[in-house]
Amino acid sequence: MDLSVVVPLYNEQESVELLHRRISDALHESGLRYEILFIDDGSKDRTLAIAAAVAARDPRLRVIEFRANYGQTPAMAAGIDLARGRIIATMDGDLQNEPRDIPAMLEAMDDATDMVVGWRKNRQDKLLTRKVPSWIANRLIAKVTGVSIRDNGCSLKLYRASLIKRVPLYAEMHRFIPAMASIAGARVKEVPVTHHARQFGASKYGLSRIYKVLLDLLSIKTIIGFAQRPLLWFGLLAMPFFIASIVALVASVLPLFSAGGRLILPYAGTGVLFGALALFLIMGGAVGELIYTTGNVDLSEYSRILAMPRHEAANRKPGRAAGGETADD
Amino acid sequence: MTDARATPELSVIVPVGGRVDDLAMLIGEYADAFDAARVSYEIIAVLDGRMDRVLDSLHGGRVTAERLRIIELSRAFGESAALMAGFDAARGEILVTLPAYYQVEPRAIPKLVAALSSDDDMLVAVRWPRAGTFLERLRRDAFHWLFAFVSRLKYRDLGCGVRIFTREVADEIPLYGDQHRFMPALAQRRGFRVREIELAQSPKDRFRGRYRLREYLHGFLDVLTVFFLVRFTKKPLRFFGTVGFLAAGFGGIFVAVLVVQRLFFGIPLADRPALLLGSLLVVLGVQVFALGLVGELIIFTHASDMKEYTIRSVIQASETGTDRDEEPRTLRQPGERIVR
Repeated sequence: MDLSVVVPLYNEQESVELLHRRISDALHESGLRYEILFIDDGSKDRTLAIAAAVAARDPRLRVIEFRANYGQTPAMAAGIDLARGRIIATMDGDLQNEPRDIPAMLEAMDDATDMVVGWRKNRQDKLLTRKVPSWIANRLIAKVTGVSIRDNGCSLKLYRASLIKRVPLYAEMHRFIPAMASIAGARVKEVPVTHHARQFGASKYGLSRIYKVLLDLLSIKTIIGFAQRPLLWFGLLAMPFFIASIVALVASVLPLFSAGGRLILPYAGTGVLFGALALFLIMGGAVGELIYTTGNVDLSEYSRILAMPRHEAANRKPGRAAGGETADD
Repeated sequence: MTDARATPELSVIVPVGGRVDDLAMLIGEYADAFDAARVSYEIIAVLDGRMDRVLDSLHGGRVTAERLRIIELSRAFGESAALMAGFDAARGEILVTLPAYYQVEPRAIPKLVAALSSDDDMLVAVRWPRAGTFLERLRRDAFHWLFAFVSRLKYRDLGCGVRIFTREVADEIPLYGDQHRFMPALAQRRGFRVREIELAQSPKDRFRGRYRLREYLHGFLDVLTVFFLVRFTKKPLRFFGTVGFLAAGFGGIFVAVLVVQRLFFGIPLADRPALLLGSLLVVLGVQVFALGLVGELIIFTHASDMKEYTIRSVIQASETGTDRDEEPRTLRQPGERIVR
């Protein structure tokens, strides 16, 4: 199997059939061996029934029914877990992504690339509620992670399966996959893609995302940027407080050196407090070290996976003869 | 009736802990109720710790070993652990939990069994009509209101131990501590379909003890735990971060005001104990924030162990059918002893 297209669906009853037709048409022309995975994320409308009806006609479509509405990231994670293709494409179920972009993105997915992300050059969304928050989020992500990707929010992405299947996907981390992966050494390419205006239904996200993205970003920063050295990172965090503590303590004892001077209590108290905080943070870093040693994630593993394909070039190229280690059905 | 040696349809788990009525008689009445419901069943009594008197009375009771299995835990682990031990021992595809004291009329149980349709994963009983003084009602309502407020899930009688559910629910909801009370909420959160059903309260269901402050505190902390588990397991920083940000923010403003007053209005900082309060808030906020980051590290390093979704079915042409996702068992209790 060359390609698995993973599409999370939540209340998309109007789009399902059209979406399936568009994906099929786009991929049929390319002559690829592909499968489509629709993940019904506990929709409350008829999405599942319609998708099941489509699946009855097309054996290349698998519909995965969730027990409840778990969210977009779990839906993608499920699709990725069950996908059989060597390349996995993810996209939105709301028809805003254009499946016809997939072949072009596949072209970009050469041996030296682990991930191709879509870039919605002419974005068809409301300026204030969608574009502005997204622009801020992208700038923030670029700033914090140091990886400049113009459009983190575009769902149309292609991954090498061997990579994406091993990236832990939870909470709302799907937004940060490119950033996470490229920090770990993945080679990411951007390809401009078409973006349609929303045809059916309402958008499911809003302005409140910025705050969440901010907090998530901080987690990512902790997790990735300072991956295997939490103690160091927490130590750096503790530094300003440590300095503040020293300054306050010195200020509090200074009067003692002049005649009749007394210790300035508020300064001393503040100094002790900040000192305690610095200590606490360093202890927190030590706990972080403990967690990493006992946990089962080894980030260096990712770099190993990423280093792999350079050696086994030809096998990975989609469209060519199936090769070696990847199971084909 | 079907042969009890064959795999029963129903496994009835009775955790026996602190509050016990005449168990042999009660289990006899339960057995009558299931006979009346015309199902094959087994009753598993899980003794939470050594209880020789209860054990003797059960051996002398009229429900025989064919129907009644007794598991005795080596020491008291608590009701959740007892339930988990019972789930492990149960052979039926449908599980029923019943309390070891009179909560609902045993005669009402066939109604519970009959009400479980294929659309339900779990039914929980609500004792209704319900006796109780005004004060008891108030306390109960306050608890359920608090629970509904923090979890956004509405339940009317979480204290009721009468539940019927499928095997999958038991397999996927790990219970520990005092979480058995919140089992319906945890199950609903996991995506199971949970419904409440009204059953007649037994006239013998009267709590004679007095609620101490400790019980209130435990109840409150339990609600907090579940709140945290239900809403923030995968994103601890969303919770800690918000709390920490608020504390540090207030503290920061406090300190900033003092500094401005010092710089531009000449009010010396040294005389202001408020500086301590401000710094304390900043310190607290940063600490809470750091805890959240540590929490994120924990989640990240264990993310591959935790699946965030459960699949009800996979639909594909040619092999249309259901694929059930197997989740690994997470909790095993040490010290189980099968008595008979």
